[in-house]
Amino acid sequence: MKTLGLFLGMIWISSSFAQETRTIYEYKKYERFDLGNLEVKGQLIAPGDISVRERERKRFQLELYSRKDFNPFIRKDMESIR
Amino acid sequence: MLKFAILALALILSGLAGAKENKKKLSEVYSEKGYHYSALNEYFIETFRKPITVGMVSRLEELLYYTGIEILEDYEVQLLKKYPSSSTRFIIGRKAYQKKNYKEALEFFELMHPDHRFFPESRMMVAEIYAKQEKFDKQDEATNTCRQTAEKLENTAINKKIKRYFRMINEICLVNRARHLFNRGKFQESIDAYDKIPKKSYKWPYILLEKAWVYYQMGDYNRALGLLVTYKSPLLNTYFFPEAEYLTALAYFKMCLYDDSLTVIGQYYDSYRPRFNSLSAVLKKNMKSQDYFYNLMFKPGEELEKHEEFVKQIITRLKKQVRYSLDFNTIHKVNEEMREIVAKEPLKEQKRLVPHLHEVKTNMVSKINYNAKSDIFQFLETVPFFSEELFKLNLETISRKKDLVYKNKKLIADRSRGDYSNVNRSRFEYFWKFHGAFWADELGDYSLGLKSNCRAVRIEDERR
Repeated sequence: MKTLGLFLGMIWISSSFAQETRTIYEYKKYERFDLGNLEVKGQLIAPGDISVRERERKRFQLELYSRKDFNPFIRKDMESIR
Repeated sequence: MLKFAILALALILSGLAGAKENKKKLSEVYSEKGYHYSALNEYFIETFRKPITVGMVSRLEELLYYTGIEILEDYEVQLLKKYPSSSTRFIIGRKAYQKKNYKEALEFFELMHPDHRFFPESRMMVAEIYAKQEKFDKQDEATNTCRQTAEKLENTAINKKIKRYFRMINEICLVNRARHLFNRGKFQESIDAYDKIPKKSYKWPYILLEKAWVYYQMGDYNRALGLLVTYKSPLLNTYFFPEAEYLTALAYFKMCLYDDSLTVIGQYYDSYRPRFNSLSAVLKKNMKSQDYFYNLMFKPGEELEKHEEFVKQIITRLKKQVRYSLDFNTIHKVNEEMREIVAKEPLKEQKRLVPHLHEVKTNMVSKINYNAKSDIFQFLETVPFFSEELFKLNLETISRKKDLVYKNKKLIADRSRGDYSNVNRSRFEYFWKFHGAFWADELGDYSLGLKSNCRAVRIEDERR
């Protein structure tokens, strides 16, 4: 009898562990921040003056033609004889 | 009696054979009558199937002395190779040179006789071949031979036209040497070679532009501008080159004389470009004509009346070319021969000779027409190229001016005036001020005395 009772007890324990636990998360639907009341603790390390570094304006320089040889003139002269 | 009969028969037969041998060939008969073009044609008919002898080659040279070699230009190379004369070797070598077959060209040019009248011209091409092969010592040697032999033949030439031909060959050999020195970056040597061309030379107006480029590359913009201003003289008003306008604007730009540069560009766009465009439109309509450009050499025609002055300038330049002179001379001589034949020969002979001469004449007209057409269009093609370059220069000049505004700066002077201290000259050159008049002996020796304006100063600094 004792053995039967122990057996039934063990079955009950194991079945209660096997049962799934359901968790329901709920998020806040609306949250309000009052930025005016926010306080940040720390030190201000930004420079006091505003400085802008001067930068050269980007220029696209056109390549201008410069004669490097007289080959067309040579050809033309040779042709102009006959 | 029988012996006597046999002797008489033998004498008659030998007499007939001798008569046959002494009977003149048709080409010789025509030569004696002065019909050299007909004789040349007949000569080829008589000889092209036979083994060529030394006598035949000498005879060909003799005929070509009168006719010139222009009519052989269209002959097959294989036929010409059959006749080993200096003239045919020159033609074959020249054809090979044109096809860039330099090995064959050199082979044939080397076989020419050094006293032959085309020898200087052959040396001119040999020098070019060596320059292309970067064998500069051989190029110099060929150039010197070209000049020496041309000078020698010029001194013994029988008329002005032939003298002019040899002078031209001499000068082209010298100018080509100067051009190659420029190509190799030897600017001062190039200028020294250009300076040897006399001012009365036909080549001289053309080399002003080239010399200006050499000075430009040497950084002597004042001298470049001085050379280019020579084209504005009344003596050189037939010489107009878009490239000269571009180089003028570019030299001003390099000296930071932006307003001067813009003025030159403006003048080009206002004056020359519209004229070129309308002229080009008229000429393009006649591109396919076989004689339009030939006739243009004599009369511009109604279509070109409003461009007459401009067309005249281009045509005057074309007419000064050696090839025009040679080809037109051939037409003149062929016409003369036709007139003689029609006046003196029976109808049967006229029918035999005149069609060939007509054909020769038509070929020469087509050749002049083609050369004139290609020269005119080659010239007109430079217009869009330099118009585009001038447009780019215009943009760059405006951009530089804008930069100065953005940087709150201005150039050291709004317009730098000329000063003697800015003129670079050698100890052999004298200096005279320009007083608004061009003197023929001074042409080409000008230099501007402008100071470079490239130093920029802050406007605030300037106000202080």
